[in-house]
Amino acid sequence: MRPVYVAGAAVHPFGKHLGVNAAELGYRAVRELLTTTGISPEQVDAGYGGSTYGGSLLAQRVLQRVGVSGPPVYTVENACASGASAVHLAWQAIAGGFADCVIAFGTENLSGFGGGTLPLTTNDIEISQGMVMTAAYAMRAQRYLHDFGATVDDLTRVSIKNRRNGALNPRAHFQKPISAEDVEQSRPVADPLRLLHCCPNSDGAAAVLLCSEEFAKQLTTPSIRMRASVVRSGDFHTSYRDMTWPDITARAAKAAYEMADIKPTDLDLVELHDAFSVAEFLHTEALGIADRGQAYKATARGEFDRDGRVAISPSGGLLSRGHPVGATGVIQICESYWQLTGEAGDLQVPGAEVALTHVTGGGIFGVDNGACSIHILTTT
Amino acid sequence: MTTHTSHTPTLVGGEWIHQDGDHTALMITKCHDCGSTWFPPREICSRCASGNVEQALTGDRGTAYASTVVRIGPAAFKPPYVLAYVDLDGTRLLAHVDTDEALAPNTPVELRVGAIGEDENGPLSSYVVAKVTEVTTPGDAR
Repeated sequence: MRPVYVAGAAVHPFGKHLGVNAAELGYRAVRELLTTTGISPEQVDAGYGGSTYGGSLLAQRVLQRVGVSGPPVYTVENACASGASAVHLAWQAIAGGFADCVIAFGTENLSGFGGGTLPLTTNDIEISQGMVMTAAYAMRAQRYLHDFGATVDDLTRVSIKNRRNGALNPRAHFQKPISAEDVEQSRPVADPLRLLHCCPNSDGAAAVLLCSEEFAKQLTTPSIRMRASVVRSGDFHTSYRDMTWPDITARAAKAAYEMADIKPTDLDLVELHDAFSVAEFLHTEALGIADRGQAYKATARGEFDRDGRVAISPSGGLLSRGHPVGATGVIQICESYWQLTGEAGDLQVPGAEVALTHVTGGGIFGVDNGACSIHILTTT
Repeated sequence: MTTHTSHTPTLVGGEWIHQDGDHTALMITKCHDCGSTWFPPREICSRCASGNVEQALTGDRGTAYASTVVRIGPAAFKPPYVLAYVDLDGTRLLAHVDTDEALAPNTPVELRVGAIGEDENGPLSSYVVAKVTEVTTPGDAR
C-alpha cells in the first residue's frame, strides 16, 4: 500500500441552516477546499460524499458544481459513520494506487426534520417498540453507572468539558460554555440523560483532500500522514451483550493501531463520537485510553482536558460542535488536520503529533452500532 | 389519500407471541450447529447460516439488563414511556415496561401482552414486561 496524505481541509460551520440543503452545504465546503488547496477540478481522480439523509446521487450534485464531473463519484451511506466511510474509500483509492488526488466530504441538513429525536430505519424490531437513539444511550448510561459506580455528575462533567472546548471553535454549533446547573436544569430526555447530555441535530458539511506523496509535494498547503483508516460493521447477535463495552470500537481500534503501529499512549488527541456524554466513557475505554470502568475518573481528574494526558474532543466533540450526521466523521479529520499542522488556533493541543478520529453509526437492533470508523493521523 | 378509520388493535410482533392461559411466551430460534439463540425467530442462523435450527418457546420470566424512561420520543408511544432490555432464555429483547419508572438493572420481570401506544390505525399492543410481584414456585416456569 502507498502512503496516504491529507493535504487540505474545509468546513461549512455547523449549526442551524434551515433551508440550505445538504448538497448546497457540501458544495460550499468543497468549493472552499479547492480554493485553499489551489487544486483544479481536472486534477481530481475520484470523489466520495457521505450523507445519511441527503438523497440519491448527492456526491454528483455537490462535485459537479465545482467542475468534478466525469471521474468516478460515489455517495456513501453508513449512518453517523457515512462521512468517515467516504474518507476510508478515498484512502483505499490512494493507498491502492488507483488515484493520486481524491476529494472526500460529508454533508447533512437535519433542520428539515424539525426537533426531537431523529427518524430511524423502519422495519426494525426495536424501533417498532419505540426505540430512539437517546433511549439506547440512556440504557447504556444506566448500566455503566450501575456497574462501575459512576454518577450522573460524571456524565455532566463530559458535557461541561466538551462545551468548554467548543466555546473556542468558530465551526461549532454551540459556542458557549455551560455549568453543571445548566445541565441539571435542562429537559429530561431519557433517564438518566438530560438535553445537555445529548448532542444537537445540526446542519453542516466538511471536506478533505487525500492524495499520494508525489501529489502532496506539488501543493503549497501542509500535509499530514493518514496512518490508519478502518471501517467495521457491528457484530450481529440477539444474545446477551455487555452494553458498557462497545465491541465494534474495540475491534476497529485494534485494527487501526496495528495498521499505524501506534499505541493508545502515543495519542495526543482524539476526536471521539460523543453523541451522548456516556459515549466518552464507553469509547475511551474501548479505545484503550482508559482502563475498564475508569474513564469517568479520568474525565473528573482532567486527564481528557485540552492540556491533559490526552485531549478528548478538543474541538468540542459532537456535544458542542454538533452532529450533522454524515459530516461528523469528516470534520473530525479536518479538526485533526489543523491540530497536526499547528493551525488550530485557540483549540491547539500543544505539541500535537498523533491524532485519532472515531465515529460510530447507527440504530439497528442486534449490534452495538451498525458501523464504526477510525482514522489515525500523524504529522509525518 | 386514504384515511384509515379502523380501530382494530394492532399486535406488534404478534406472529412471535404465544399465549397460553396466564402465560405469555415468545417464539425464538436455536441453532443446533453453533448454539446461537435468536429473537425474532428466523429460517437460518444469522451467525453461521445453518438451516439446522429449532423454533422454540421462551419461558415467561426474565431479568432487566437496563431500562429508561423515554420522555421525548415518537408520539405513537405517548411519551413518557418506559423501555427495558430484558434477558430471557438466552436472548435479549427490547420491550415496554408496565410501570412509571425505569427498572433497576437485574430486576426480575415477567412477560405479558399489553398496550404500547396508538397510531393512525388505532391502538398498538405487543409483548411487554412487568416487575415480578407474586411469589412463584419453580414449576411455573416452562
